[in-house]
Amino acid sequence: MIWQTEERLRRPIPQEPITKPGGDGDGPSRPDVQRPDTNELLKRMRRIDPEQARRYRQRSGE
Amino acid sequence: MHRLIGIETEYGLYVEGRGVADQLIDAMGVVRSCPFPAVRSWDYRLEDPRRDMRGFRVEHLEVDPHDAQIEREHPLPISEREARSDHALGNGARLYNDHAHPEYATPECQRLLELVAHDKAGEQIVLTCAQAYAQRTGNKVTLYKNNTDHHGSSYGCHESYSLTRQIPFETLAGNLLPFLVTRMLFAGAGKVGVEGEPNPRVPFQLSQRADFYMDIMNVETLYRRPIFNTRDEPHATMRRYRRLHVICGDANMSEYATALKVGTTALVLDLTETGWFAPFSIPNPVREAQRLSRDPDMKWLIETDAGTLSAIDIQRAYWQAAHEQFAGRDAETDWLLHEWQTVLDVLETDPDLLADRLDWVAKRQLLNLYVESEGVSWDDPALFALDLEYHNIDPAEGLYYALVEQGRMLTLVSPEAIEQATHQPPMDTRAAIRGLCIQRFAEQVETLNWERIILRDAEQTVRLDLSRLIETDLRILSRRLTTAPDITTFVKMVKEVQS
Repeated sequence: MIWQTEERLRRPIPQEPITKPGGDGDGPSRPDVQRPDTNELLKRMRRIDPEQARRYRQRSGE
Repeated sequence: MHRLIGIETEYGLYVEGRGVADQLIDAMGVVRSCPFPAVRSWDYRLEDPRRDMRGFRVEHLEVDPHDAQIEREHPLPISEREARSDHALGNGARLYNDHAHPEYATPECQRLLELVAHDKAGEQIVLTCAQAYAQRTGNKVTLYKNNTDHHGSSYGCHESYSLTRQIPFETLAGNLLPFLVTRMLFAGAGKVGVEGEPNPRVPFQLSQRADFYMDIMNVETLYRRPIFNTRDEPHATMRRYRRLHVICGDANMSEYATALKVGTTALVLDLTETGWFAPFSIPNPVREAQRLSRDPDMKWLIETDAGTLSAIDIQRAYWQAAHEQFAGRDAETDWLLHEWQTVLDVLETDPDLLADRLDWVAKRQLLNLYVESEGVSWDDPALFALDLEYHNIDPAEGLYYALVEQGRMLTLVSPEAIEQATHQPPMDTRAAIRGLCIQRFAEQVETLNWERIILRDAEQTVRLDLSRLIETDLRILSRRLTTAPDITTFVKMVKEVQS
């Protein structure tokens, strides 16, 4: 069997969120943009054409 | 799971330099570029989408007026059947063009993780088709596994669950409606804004699909979409089975969200089959679903006939009943019960801790990172583009896959299992008969559908009836079918099981 069930399903909560939006308590906190992986995410997001959603039109489906 | 379950996904399609008037041609082109072994036929004779579970048949199905106008202005010179470009695949799945969207319907599965693997295999198959079409035409092709173009058009991700016909319709609808309204807490894919109306109070909502709900229940899918779809098309022996056709859900990128969405829905059906009744109803489910999805304060309160309840507590009532009846039944059920409970508890205290498993949380955090870093507001056009790109199924481009790459998303099935599902059917359901028949004897298949295969064996037409093979475990038969030396032996082996 190639399912990796036990190992994959039992990963514990919680994992540290990318950013921790405000709520009761600490209030909004800024992301740690020094973290290389967060930088990579931001780079990838900045590469996205901001006009893509304006151009994207679809036929209505089901 | 003790029933057949499948997921059908209509993919959003963007071809560089082309528009909605070209979308039907492009969707056909993508599907027809399929390089996987397939029978290019589908037998529609047993389908009846106008039959309603409530005991009547509608005269016609409604269409979106805007879409009807596009169709009038750009008529196709070929028949609707030809435009469908049907492909029945060797893994038991179905690939075709549905209303200008490439659609992938997984084979019927009984095991949750196998279904997740087949759902992900569908992404790989459709992406491979799109890449082949791009190479042929020279145009870049992008596929989105989402449910909205953010301009008022929606396309679906439907689920199908087999169940006994003995359950009265009213019981089924009564038990399912409060569950379907509130499961977006963990099954929602998240969306920037509100469809078609700038609403500064709602920068982000839980569900992609909720804005499109127009009715509590009906048989429609293209327009006036309901929360509870009443289509009575069991794809199985009519007198014994129903098929619950869920059309109100979002397409999930997260494997975990897919598993929880489908698994908990199956548990609610299990409960219903034991004679359990939901202890509340929601008098105005369309309004409450939209309020829940758009609630900027995330209080998630629902007006029920038992007073105002939190959506989490409504889900807990289902969890509690399922736990009492099914805990210890098998490992899959125990996993579902554990995860369902955990997710509800964490949603109540700190939803952001679920960013590694729920789509709406992952997307919201990702967009929040961008908002804070770039100093833009939530109504900036870039946010809509980022929302869209979360659903791009190309791992080299999509933002969901960027999170997976960084180990930020929990995945449930291995890349090897997904690869295997691109060419192998589930071996315990009737999909194995269909898939193996296509793999081994495609040239002798005249046509087929979910319920039957029509073959040519020598000079004879042979019908293989799969309509009663709903609860039978077909693993032993499947193993034998892989060694059948010819079509005559293959047919004989299947007919032995049927008798």
